[in-house]
Amino acid sequence: MRVLRNIFRRKLRAFLTIFGISIGVFALVVMGALAEKLTLLVDGGMKYYAGKVVVNGEGGIMGVGTAPLKKSMLREIEHIEGVRRVSAACGALLDEELPAVSMGNIPTIQAEDGRAKGYETFVVTVAEGRDLKNTDLRKVALGSDIVKKLNGHVGGFVEIRGERYEVVGIYDKTLTAPDNAVMMTMEDAQKIVHDDLPDAVKDSVVPDTIVSSFAVYLEPGERPEVVARRIEREIDNVDAQTPVEFERQVKQPLQIFTSVIYAIALISLLVGGLSVINTMTMSVAERTREIGVRKAIGASNGQIMRQFLAESAVIGLIGGLAGLAFGVLIAAGANAAGEVAGNVLFLVTNRLLVASLAFAVGLGTLSGLYPAYHAASLNPVEALRYE
Amino acid sequence: MSEPSAGTDATVPGAFQPAEAALAADPGREVIVRAVALAKRYQLGKSNFVDALRGATLDIARGEMAAIMGPSGSGKSTFMHIAGCLDVADGGEVWLNGRRVDGMPARTLVDIRRREIGFIFQGFNLIPTLSAEENVALAGEYAGMSRRDALARSRELLELVGLGDRMRHAPSELSGGQQQRVAIARALVNDPDIVMGDEPTGDLDTATSAEIVSMMRAVNVERGTTFLIVTHNPEVAESCDRIVRMRDGVVVDDGDGTPQGTDAQGRPQ
Repeated sequence: MRVLRNIFRRKLRAFLTIFGISIGVFALVVMGALAEKLTLLVDGGMKYYAGKVVVNGEGGIMGVGTAPLKKSMLREIEHIEGVRRVSAACGALLDEELPAVSMGNIPTIQAEDGRAKGYETFVVTVAEGRDLKNTDLRKVALGSDIVKKLNGHVGGFVEIRGERYEVVGIYDKTLTAPDNAVMMTMEDAQKIVHDDLPDAVKDSVVPDTIVSSFAVYLEPGERPEVVARRIEREIDNVDAQTPVEFERQVKQPLQIFTSVIYAIALISLLVGGLSVINTMTMSVAERTREIGVRKAIGASNGQIMRQFLAESAVIGLIGGLAGLAFGVLIAAGANAAGEVAGNVLFLVTNRLLVASLAFAVGLGTLSGLYPAYHAASLNPVEALRYE
Repeated sequence: MSEPSAGTDATVPGAFQPAEAALAADPGREVIVRAVALAKRYQLGKSNFVDALRGATLDIARGEMAAIMGPSGSGKSTFMHIAGCLDVADGGEVWLNGRRVDGMPARTLVDIRRREIGFIFQGFNLIPTLSAEENVALAGEYAGMSRRDALARSRELLELVGLGDRMRHAPSELSGGQQQRVAIARALVNDPDIVMGDEPTGDLDTATSAEIVSMMRAVNVERGTTFLIVTHNPEVAESCDRIVRMRDGVVVDDGDGTPQGTDAQGRPQ
């Protein structure tokens, strides 16, 4: 209480300083939430890739944005040494055009032949309705985010690429790629992929042979890298991707990206810290005589130091709380707006909140260190003489 | 306190000498503050300095109420600050309550200020963000009292100085005289042996000054607290037991009726 009274002695200045900190914390929370979401997406990918090899056409990732493979390859791959089981999947972008600006999780259509069952460890569970079966023509099961974009519900219909599909189920939230995916049968997905092909090749491709990627499950004890190289050697024009390669291709660039994001946020917070130093220095100067009186009536240097440190820490705390509240609000608002477009960009995690607040308080305290030290080391007699 | 008595030594004209009588009547009377040949130099610029004290010597007896007068720059405030352990001298000795305190570490001096000395300053000398009772309690808290105990003690003292109905007021809501009464209460929180006042009536009108002085006198009489008051105001000084006069950094008249440089019995020191 006393600390607050001192801080708000100069209301405008206190407000501006706190505002400076809260802008920094706001930036940290919002940008951090973006980084957290991306990290989680990639971690989801890591989980998906764990323990298996994914075969794409050359240049593709996770079955999207690649030239189609042929169904006949399934048997070829399954005969390769070290391969235990192969499952075919078919995927496409939900909308024909990629969004001009795309970040995070892009809405997709996904289908698989059901051969992965019992081998796949990355299993998405059903929240409502039932899972999709191979025979569910013109039916779909929806990821937890995409359901909002398509405005679907179990038993209702959604429109995809101009066609109506019945919704049989909605999946649990995974916080990664499947949340933004429409699961349909291979047959339906193959038609969509076929329609997307350039006219020149369309006629030479039979829809029901189209495969976007194969998930390759390995014999126990086989190393993914070894099997992946074997697949690439024996089958033309494919990329066999291992968990390690996925990590190298996706996780490392992401780490650079998140480092840059955090650096920007921290710089804005540092500017806020400078304004705390400024405010506290002015506050100490204005209260020089008061500090003299306090020392005369028995305050030790430590007590004076703690008083001013507490003030700067509380400035950091209030600024931090305001920035957190504002950041969480904006992130939630942006997510709500993004859900309609199937684009949930932010993930506010507890560790982000705790770290941001701790950082704000720590920064406030640190910024108060010099002014507080200066106040504590004032000569009481000179301070008393100060007008 | 002691009755004013006629001066016994004409070499110090105009000196007000009640303490002389007290000391003479009781030669064994305890000295609470003894300052011997204090020197203090302030550096103002690179080669510009001021000798605020150049050998100031003075004894203050326990239980007396002494005034220090002197023109601006005579060193009276500096003397009080050093005697009050707020500042340290460049030379000389300071004795407080029978032990030598000059040269003690700053940490120890803080402790001494807390337990043995109370301060009252001129004008702005309360913390503006604290209420009257919090201002008084603060000195107790600094000395290690719990906030609860300090506030209880604070209320008791504010009653004593007649501010029982103003305890929750901020300093800005109190008159100058009321603020100084709060300052007196604050100076008394830790039951000090001596209260030092640096122009405690400096900003007050005549009537209010008199009120503050009589309040300090009442504390002096009832509690036996020693007062050392630096003042410009002759009326304030004359209400004290004796008037110490300083000029150019030395005590030119210690007001006990003996020539400077001799003790109360007239022996050379």
